[in-house]
Amino acid sequence: MIYEKEKRYIIPFTDVPSSRAEMPEISVDERRGNFTEVETGFPEAVAVQEAKRCLSCRRCLGCGLCLAEDNEDSIDFNIPGEELNLEFDEVIITKGQDNAFHPIKPELGFDVYADVITDLQFERMLSPNGPTGGLVVSPLNGEIPGRIAIVQGSSNEEDEKHLFSSLVLGVNESILALDKTQDLEVALISPVCQSFKEKFSSDAEQISSLGIIEGIPESVERKGEEGPLSLTYSTGGQNKTEDFDLLVVLTKEKISPEIMELSRKLDQEIQ
Amino acid sequence: MKDKKMLIVGGGLEGVGAALENADKGADVTIIEKFADLGAERIPRDRLIKPGEGFVKPDLEKLRNQSNVKVLPYSDIKKISRDNDKIQTRIVKHSLLVDNSKSSEATKVGIKVCPVNMYDDFDEGLSFRTAFDYYNSETGNYNIYKEDMPACQRGCPINLDIRLYAGLIADGRYAESLAKIREKLPIPGSIGRICPHPCETACNRQYLDEPISICFLKRFVADVEINEGIEPDYETPEQKYSEKIAIIGAGPSGLSCAHDLARMGYENIKIFEALPVPGGFLQVGIPEYRLPKKLLGREVALIEKMGVEIQYNTRIGKDIAFEDLKKEYDAVFIAAGCHKGLKLRCPGEDDFEGIIDCVTFLRDQALGNIKDVKGKLIVIGGGNAAIDSARVGWRMGYDEVYILYRRTKKEMPANPWEVDAAEHEGVKFQFLAAPVEILGENGKVTGIKCVKMELGEPDASGRRRPVPVEGSEYVIDAETIVGALSQGTDLSFLPADHEFKLTRRDTFEVDEETGATNLPGVFAGGDVATGPDIAIRAVAGGKLGALGIHKYLRSK
Amino acid sequence: MCTGRVDPAIIAKAFKKGLDGLIIVGCFIGECHYVSGNIQAKAKIDMTRRLLKHIGLNENRLSFQHCSSGEATRFVEIVNEFDKTIHELGPIGGESDRVKGPELFRKLEAAEAVLAGEKMRWVIGKKTEFLEKGNFYGEVFTEHEFNRAIDMIIVEETEVQEILGKLKEGVQSVKALAGSLAIPSERVFRYINALKRKEMVQLETVSGRSPLYKVIPQGV
Ligand SMILES: Cc1cc2nc3c(=O)[nH]c(=O)nc-3n(C[C@H](O)[C@H](O)[C@H](O)COP(=O)(O)OP(=O)(O)OC[C@H]3O[C@@H](n4cnc5c(N)ncnc54)[C@H](O)[C@@H]3O)c2cc1C
Ligand code: SF4
Repeated sequence: MIYEKEKRYIIPFTDVPSSRAEMPEISVDERRGNFTEVETGFPEAVAVQEAKRCLSCRRCLGCGLCLAEDNEDSIDFNIPGEELNLEFDEVIITKGQDNAFHPIKPELGFDVYADVITDLQFERMLSPNGPTGGLVVSPLNGEIPGRIAIVQGSSNEEDEKHLFSSLVLGVNESILALDKTQDLEVALISPVCQSFKEKFSSDAEQISSLGIIEGIPESVERKGEEGPLSLTYSTGGQNKTEDFDLLVVLTKEKISPEIMELSRKLDQEIQ
Repeated sequence: MKDKKMLIVGGGLEGVGAALENADKGADVTIIEKFADLGAERIPRDRLIKPGEGFVKPDLEKLRNQSNVKVLPYSDIKKISRDNDKIQTRIVKHSLLVDNSKSSEATKVGIKVCPVNMYDDFDEGLSFRTAFDYYNSETGNYNIYKEDMPACQRGCPINLDIRLYAGLIADGRYAESLAKIREKLPIPGSIGRICPHPCETACNRQYLDEPISICFLKRFVADVEINEGIEPDYETPEQKYSEKIAIIGAGPSGLSCAHDLARMGYENIKIFEALPVPGGFLQVGIPEYRLPKKLLGREVALIEKMGVEIQYNTRIGKDIAFEDLKKEYDAVFIAAGCHKGLKLRCPGEDDFEGIIDCVTFLRDQALGNIKDVKGKLIVIGGGNAAIDSARVGWRMGYDEVYILYRRTKKEMPANPWEVDAAEHEGVKFQFLAAPVEILGENGKVTGIKCVKMELGEPDASGRRRPVPVEGSEYVIDAETIVGALSQGTDLSFLPADHEFKLTRRDTFEVDEETGATNLPGVFAGGDVATGPDIAIRAVAGGKLGALGIHKYLRSK
Repeated sequence: MCTGRVDPAIIAKAFKKGLDGLIIVGCFIGECHYVSGNIQAKAKIDMTRRLLKHIGLNENRLSFQHCSSGEATRFVEIVNEFDKTIHELGPIGGESDRVKGPELFRKLEAAEAVLAGEKMRWVIGKKTEFLEKGNFYGEVFTEHEFNRAIDMIIVEETEVQEILGKLKEGVQSVKALAGSLAIPSERVFRYINALKRKEMVQLETVSGRSPLYKVIPQGV
């Protein structure tokens, strides 16, 4: 139920990293011809040490400080949850707001470099209600980027429909970013850029001012310790490398397992 | 359309749009959303935009004013089914713990004082929020982020309170830790040795370094009790119930069901077990070197001490008819497991002595019924049962032990640590090989004809499908061949004209919330309902059945 | 004075003034005139030691000992022992401390703010309740779980207080803050966003490619 995206429990506790305890075993020579238990169990000190590695994951501590400060009486730990048995005539299943996505090509350095972000994060950043109030900045250092690259997250993508819609999103995001940011260059790199230009020929004028490149991103590296991201991409049968201050990765949406299960169970499409 | 009741699953932009559209037509709409509030504005993905009109906003204002739309945030669908054109649901709505009709600008202080920082889901992790905060800045509705359980506990099929029992171990309070585990799990020492630990797969610490070794901690506290010679006290409640309950099978599922019922106060619980020993596959499947039977026996004895009776050497369907059992007892729980080894389905399989399925092989070994150990042993399959058979064979003293598997090491469904251990001990692997024919002479197996495989396109399970390489057949000599493909249920104990609803895999169809079968008073759980699975999920099935039986008997 | 009345913020302040060691001697647990004064004291001082260790000060510079009023010899022994320890540790910000010189004093400033802050005071004050009766949800904590919660607050509050401390010196960019504070810049970025959400920080201006932030003074 209460959902949180994985990998988000990132408090830099001081005992991190510390490796997991290993289970002691009897040697292979001692095993042949008998059925003696192989694993001998943790000694006490090891067990205690291992138990201490537990992060005791917990969100609200139940400390009641907010309650003590709340002079409106709006906080109430006694408001109960409810269990409802409801009957409906019809159901519409939508994908919800998980915003989960398929794995991103590891070479692109998402999860490694803080200035490689997803199109979903970029979308929030561009929103006036978002975390930066619509300011385009690099999450690595809070600086306004001079050059942004928007690329496909996985290279050998065969799903044309996905490639198209994510490129549309990429184009729209760059339209917004360019509008909000001075002296900004955006490079859009996509494998369907030719057919995209044909399909949206009516918007040709709008598109022509954008740097759309037919190509596939290959890898990303940081130049020096604090340098820009250096992106290598293949275009027209050649590899090219360019520097960027921010890399936006176009993701492929993944519907949550619960919704998939629901759709299967009710034998009904997701809208 | 008027007064039509509609459920919209998901409160994102699409969900809100669909809700408004149908509300306009007069329908009675309910939106269910698992997050604390409705969704954010989005950038279109199907058309190009102009800078000024970049975002499409869900019209939350309009939604608020629509009297025929109800929003259920922080809610989960617990159960849903379609019955005669109606959709029946059970929805659990978690409390926001904040009454937003009373909150104001001043409530914001809560955000400043709350000591808990967490990545903000709504902003895709680009900011932090506190445990008391708003989710969607647009509505500014506050909620307190109180998870109902941490990731590990949710990953555990019986939702053991791992955070607490690990904390107790860290504090050196071992006995309390074990007592806490025992409240939910009657066989901690056994599970603490053999569980493939889905909790560790979920552990948050893996994102920092490595998951906590949760499973072995359980074993540790169980071992402390034995080493210190402590006899635990099991308490059963004052309130007693006298209904008679029969349980078929003394595996983890049956034992857990009995344990939970005894803890609820049931005094007449009887387990019928076909074998002379308890534990099901924990006894006659999982080998002694992974789970000493003395330890298992002690844990079962503790359950018996609570007043559970186990009648051994009694096979339902043979010694007692199932129908008689049903008549004589107020409730029946079926926990007969999956004890039928599946066939290799290749020629020669039924013609020679020396070919045996892994269920029989491991059981006979565990019960001391295999005397003739010589020559080469070949095990066919890639699951845990195959590895166990091979490691058992190696210990029994076969000259050489081979595992034959159709795909490669990477695709083996067995736990990787088990595969490594087998390799380490000297079991030999032949990957990308499949049996074609069993060869024999004078009624005895002499070898096996195999064909080399190569990996083709991925199949439905996502694993690459093995395809035979033409003309690559070869022969391996062997005296004993163990087929370890998979297991199925053996329902021959039921009368031929039984009316149970079964799945395509010949397992019982049971209710998700009670373990009830379609016949009143009969419940089922464990492998017999899920197909071959892991012990802790069999325990979960047993516990569910106990709850179901309790509900059933108390409402009769 | 009852040890329960010792304010951890004063401890940090004392170290900030250049103190090399501090020992607090109080009654034995169970002999407290105010019943649980020294249990409270122990919780507070344990936490303060964890915090000092976190910011890079050798935590043995702070010691909590028990001695009853009649035990003069024991008292002398305790003090001599501690004196020896401090001599071995040397002057503050030296060899035995992980963080040295001016940086340590800046961190002590942040530590003082954390210890004076409401969050830490409140949660540490809840220790006995959490361990015995449980929190608002009735969850009884183990010592380990409580320490994890405290560690979480220590890590995050120190970082936030360091950032606020720096911003009080004048407007700053995320990059400059991260550069001078040795906090990973992607965390500084998120803290700034969160502080904006809490209306404790605001965007002042953009200079070149750097957005500059300033603190909003908090009313009392
Ligand atoms: C070789 C092997 C290795 C395994 N390794 C692991 C592991 O490492 N970790 C893990 O978690 N799981 C493992 N499993 C799976 C696990 O053992 C099972 O999921 C679990 O035991 C299922 O529990 P159960 O109670 O549903 O059924 P079982 O344990 O199969 O018990 C069913 C019981 O019912 C009895 N019975 C059947 N029919 C009748 C009848 N008509 N009348 C009376 N009694 C009857 C049987 O004799 C048996 O004792 C392994 C399984 C095998 C075969
Ligand atoms: S301040 Fe309120 S929301 Fe925050 S941890 Fe304490 S009780 Fe929970």
